[in-house]
Amino acid sequence: MAKIKLENVVKSFGAYQVVHGANLEIEDGEFTVFVGPSGCGKSTLLRMIAGLEDISAGTISIGGKVVNDTEPSDRGIAMVFQSYALYPHMTVRRNLSFGLEMNGNSKADTARRVALAANILQINELMDRRPAQLSGGQRQRVAIGRAIVREPQVFLFDEPLSNLDAELRVQMRVEISKLHKQLGTTMIYVTHDQTEAMTLADKIVVLRAGHIEQVGAPLDLYDDPANQFVAGFVGSPKMNFLKADVVEKTPDGAVVALSSDRKVRFAFPLSTEISEGASVTLGIRPEHFAPPGEGDADLTVAVEVAEHLGNTSYVHASLAGETVVIEQPESRHRGDRRHLTVGVPVGRLFLFDQTGNRLR
Amino acid sequence: MLSRNRAAYAFLAPYLLIFVTFWLWPIINSLLISFQNTRVNPWRFSLSANWGRLFGDPAFYNALYNTLIILVIQVPVMIALATVMAVLLNSPLLKARPLYRFAFFAPVVVGEVAYAAVFRLMFSADFGIINKLITSVGLSPVSWFDNANAAMALVIIAITWRWAGYNAIILLAGLQSIPDDVYEAATLDRVSKFQQFVHITLPLLKPIISFCVVLSVIGTMQLFTEPFLITNRGGPGGGTETLGLLLYRQGFTSLNFGYASAIAYTIAGLAVAISLLNLMLGGEKK
Repeated sequence: MAKIKLENVVKSFGAYQVVHGANLEIEDGEFTVFVGPSGCGKSTLLRMIAGLEDISAGTISIGGKVVNDTEPSDRGIAMVFQSYALYPHMTVRRNLSFGLEMNGNSKADTARRVALAANILQINELMDRRPAQLSGGQRQRVAIGRAIVREPQVFLFDEPLSNLDAELRVQMRVEISKLHKQLGTTMIYVTHDQTEAMTLADKIVVLRAGHIEQVGAPLDLYDDPANQFVAGFVGSPKMNFLKADVVEKTPDGAVVALSSDRKVRFAFPLSTEISEGASVTLGIRPEHFAPPGEGDADLTVAVEVAEHLGNTSYVHASLAGETVVIEQPESRHRGDRRHLTVGVPVGRLFLFDQTGNRLR
Repeated sequence: MLSRNRAAYAFLAPYLLIFVTFWLWPIINSLLISFQNTRVNPWRFSLSANWGRLFGDPAFYNALYNTLIILVIQVPVMIALATVMAVLLNSPLLKARPLYRFAFFAPVVVGEVAYAAVFRLMFSADFGIINKLITSVGLSPVSWFDNANAAMALVIIAITWRWAGYNAIILLAGLQSIPDDVYEAATLDRVSKFQQFVHITLPLLKPIISFCVVLSVIGTMQLFTEPFLITNRGGPGGGTETLGLLLYRQGFTSLNFGYASAIAYTIAGLAVAISLLNLMLGGEKK
């Protein structure tokens, strides 16, 4: 097990910088998830920790030792690749033992480690098959097994579930979570799927365009996003954003009116200075609307589509051109209503300035 | 034949006609001719005239021996060389890769007569650059065209030069189909580059190597150009006469088409047998 520390880590490909001075601490035994949209630099960051990519500036330490110039194999890490990267011509058993054999590990110890990994992942009956004879989920298990036999200080997962179907993804997600509890090893997991991030992580690192936007526990990011990007990225369906303007400054904050309906106003206590007339964005999660009359203001929207999931319904509606998604208790029997009125509790609203920063 | 297929067959007819006339019929006819004594007029059926002669003909055994010597020495050397070239061409450290790729492939597109002429000049006993180099390091010059072993070496060098790059390009395509992350996984497993080559690259490249070996075996069994043009029609004294050259001599110099046909079928049979053996030995165990 090991603590990982990134200090001002920069990665450039020629003149193009893809990671801009990343600073991060990952505690011993912590399950950390790097999450962000495609091209945000999360896989590059993981590969730099693995040593598969050189870093352009900064330092990476694993277990208190700077590993900038340490070979990948000497960093005490094991990695599970998105494409599994199994050796296609070797049986499962040999896939697990190959690395140990090449390093002159004793036969008895290799056999012990392989058997242990096979037991943990329940792949005993697959040991004599080749990767081509395995299903996606089984291949993924073997890939994880190959990481386990190395007995690493840190496990790195690079989008390991993205090639699996939805059902298997949920199943493997639970298994990886169990594995973390069982082994207690530091794990870093890269995904673009915020559900995976929320369910697996002790700590989530949200990245965008090579910048770390926010680091925190999953529910901290959900409850207290640092900016509009994180607010929109964490949570499913994503947070609604409505254009608004500051119409009045009060001694402890400001009054904000919706651009689409200036009669809908909310008074926010703010410690940041903001000028009257400033454009802002209001954020509210689909699940945080209240029944009409129970919020601080009511909002009437034009219903476009309703998705009924059984226990709940998502109503897709528009408010003067802006799309709003509202979670409603199961509502399929309510008939085709063209308009829906919901209450908006101000305590559930988030306020962002024009650059997307949170106003508090 | 379904009526809706008629138009399709009509369009195919010109090609099929040419195929049957110039491919299929000669293949069948040459088999029939191989059972005819073609040294008498009119030709007569005879089993012993060609097939009987074949098994007792010292010229045939000489040509077979020469062909197999080239096969046994040249094919493995060339495939090994081509594999190394392919690995080097695949290296991310290599700059101007397309230029090297073209350079290695270029010998195949050079005209055979031109390349043979250049080789003859380079290996000329009196004023060739190769003998100049050999004598410059204190060794005695080699009579490339007068000594049977030297002539054989020359043929092997020439074929290797001409075809190694071609095979390297095929192997390179195979190498590029091996995903990078397999090597990355091996690197994380602390597997050295050499171990990666032996335990990952070579086994994964095996089907492509087998393909190249089969192509080379077929090519060598039919070998004609180099011994004809470079070593003076299989000289010295039949020292580099291959089966292809013997076939040519019998068919088009002596006009003994029956015997030439028997040799042609022997070449084809041997090529198939050796290729099958290679595929069986190198085949994947399921």
